[in-house]
Amino acid sequence: MAQIPDFLAKEDELGIRLPLLFESRGYKKYRMSKFEEYSFYSDNRKFLTDDGVIAFNNADGRLMALKPDITLSIVKNAKLSEKLTRLYYNESVFRISHAAKDFREIKQCGVEVLGDIDSYITSEVIILAANSLKMIDPNYSISLSHNDIVLSLIDECSISLADRKRLAGCIGSKNTHDFRKICSECGIADETADKITSLFTIDLPVDEAIEKIEAVVDTEKTVNALNEIKALRNAICNCDIFDKIHIDLSVTQHIDYYNGIVFRGYVEKAPAAVLSGGRYDPLARKIRENIGAIGFAVYLDNLNLYYRKHREFDTDILIINRDESNTDKLIDAANGFCNEGMSVCVEREKPDSYRCRKTYIFENGKLTEEEKC
Amino acid sequence: MLNIALPKGRLGDKVYDLLAGIGYDCSEIYDDNRKLIVTNEKSGVCYLLVKPSDVAIYIEHGAADIGIVGKDILEESRPDIYELLDLKLGKCNMCVAAPESYIEDLDRPLRVATKFTNIAKNYYISLNREIEIIKLNGSIEIAPLLGLSDVIVDIVETGTTLRENHLKVFEKIMPISARLVANKSSYKFKNAEILNLVTKLEKELADK
Repeated sequence: MAQIPDFLAKEDELGIRLPLLFESRGYKKYRMSKFEEYSFYSDNRKFLTDDGVIAFNNADGRLMALKPDITLSIVKNAKLSEKLTRLYYNESVFRISHAAKDFREIKQCGVEVLGDIDSYITSEVIILAANSLKMIDPNYSISLSHNDIVLSLIDECSISLADRKRLAGCIGSKNTHDFRKICSECGIADETADKITSLFTIDLPVDEAIEKIEAVVDTEKTVNALNEIKALRNAICNCDIFDKIHIDLSVTQHIDYYNGIVFRGYVEKAPAAVLSGGRYDPLARKIRENIGAIGFAVYLDNLNLYYRKHREFDTDILIINRDESNTDKLIDAANGFCNEGMSVCVEREKPDSYRCRKTYIFENGKLTEEEKC
Repeated sequence: MLNIALPKGRLGDKVYDLLAGIGYDCSEIYDDNRKLIVTNEKSGVCYLLVKPSDVAIYIEHGAADIGIVGKDILEESRPDIYELLDLKLGKCNMCVAAPESYIEDLDRPLRVATKFTNIAKNYYISLNREIEIIKLNGSIEIAPLLGLSDVIVDIVETGTTLRENHLKVFEKIMPISARLVANKSSYKFKNAEILNLVTKLEKELADK
């Protein structure tokens, strides 16, 4: 892989490294417009986060939106090949943060595969997700789950949408005490509540988790879901990323849009998930006929904050120019340092707090090294 | 080292005693000083003493790995964190209260004074009742007495303040107690330390 300069901030570094990684596995870049008709997002509002969409009228009066999401747009607009389309993107999305009461630009880099999704593709995407996280921090973790295990058991209980939402909230926060209380209020049998609780509290290495899930699941849907996890396990168990994967059944995604394997990625220095993805056939089939889909996004914003790079020097060389007439020689001198792989800056006077390895004075067409900065 | 965000005040003291009792002591916390960060390398803990309403913010942003926070704060701000245990400490109720003689006028929006605006909104949405929120930051009980609001939505512990101001509870919205919460990323990378603490706490609570 090409050498990436050390001085690049983490976000910029990943903006180069991740596309190289995706290209190396046959993914093609998808570039998109920043705008889309607002109605497209309002039709699929539940797929988006709670943050709002930034809307405006364009020149001919149509209500437009600054893209709040990339997946939706790719599914709608990408030109698909006959069997399988592998795409990656490196784009910004725009949302209204209700918490901060402000507009936000969020940089994302990720992949989407559309078409006939088999176990190889699922494994390939998980491995790519793991390798993406490894580029951020070798100390990473993937929390992997299957949308049909815990949520399908809740669907079997006849409860209102509001109660379902409350239970899903408890699952996502591993909150067993309130989960049991809500189950009791909704008339869900203790046995069922215990069964679901024992599943969503699983957060274990893959093999241990499979053993525990196997002891609990018994419906056709949950058994099929477990079999999918097992197939994935068998496909990737010899990869070096395998130890970084935990089965965490508290990870779920909106059931109207996601099915199958879903996952989130964490790195040690970031307080929240920096990667999110999964299988989203139901969403894809709302927009395109009879296709499967899987993908993930890496959230690049804030990574510069968590992975600050300490720069010892502003440049390797600082040249103080005290010569009005020999500009050609000054250019040669600066180019000489650059050609030796050093960074160089030419100034009239030394800027305040400037840090450099060496300072040179350029006078009468000659460079003279000054004592160390 | 586990960074634990403790709410300053009575609840924090109770929780600290509980944690110290299971091996997470830090005697410096009792010293007569104003330190907000106290560490005990031996116990492997660093306590951050913060405003109760800020605990969840410290946890969500990863400044602390775990913390203790009231359910009222969690319901109000809905942070993206794990809620691992109900410590059953600091028990009280989130209630709708109003002057003792209050009769609701259903012909107009209800004026609700509260600092828990999201809890109040969600509660009245569930009842399909139109309301007007008046956000206050303290002494909420005064609002209906001065005609600023019809009712208040607030935490009621013993009910003494309400009684002294001639108010009474009309509805209980939800029970409140202290919860042990964890940052999602810390839960992945300090899993053994966090689970060890949770297991000890569960045992201690069961024995009590």
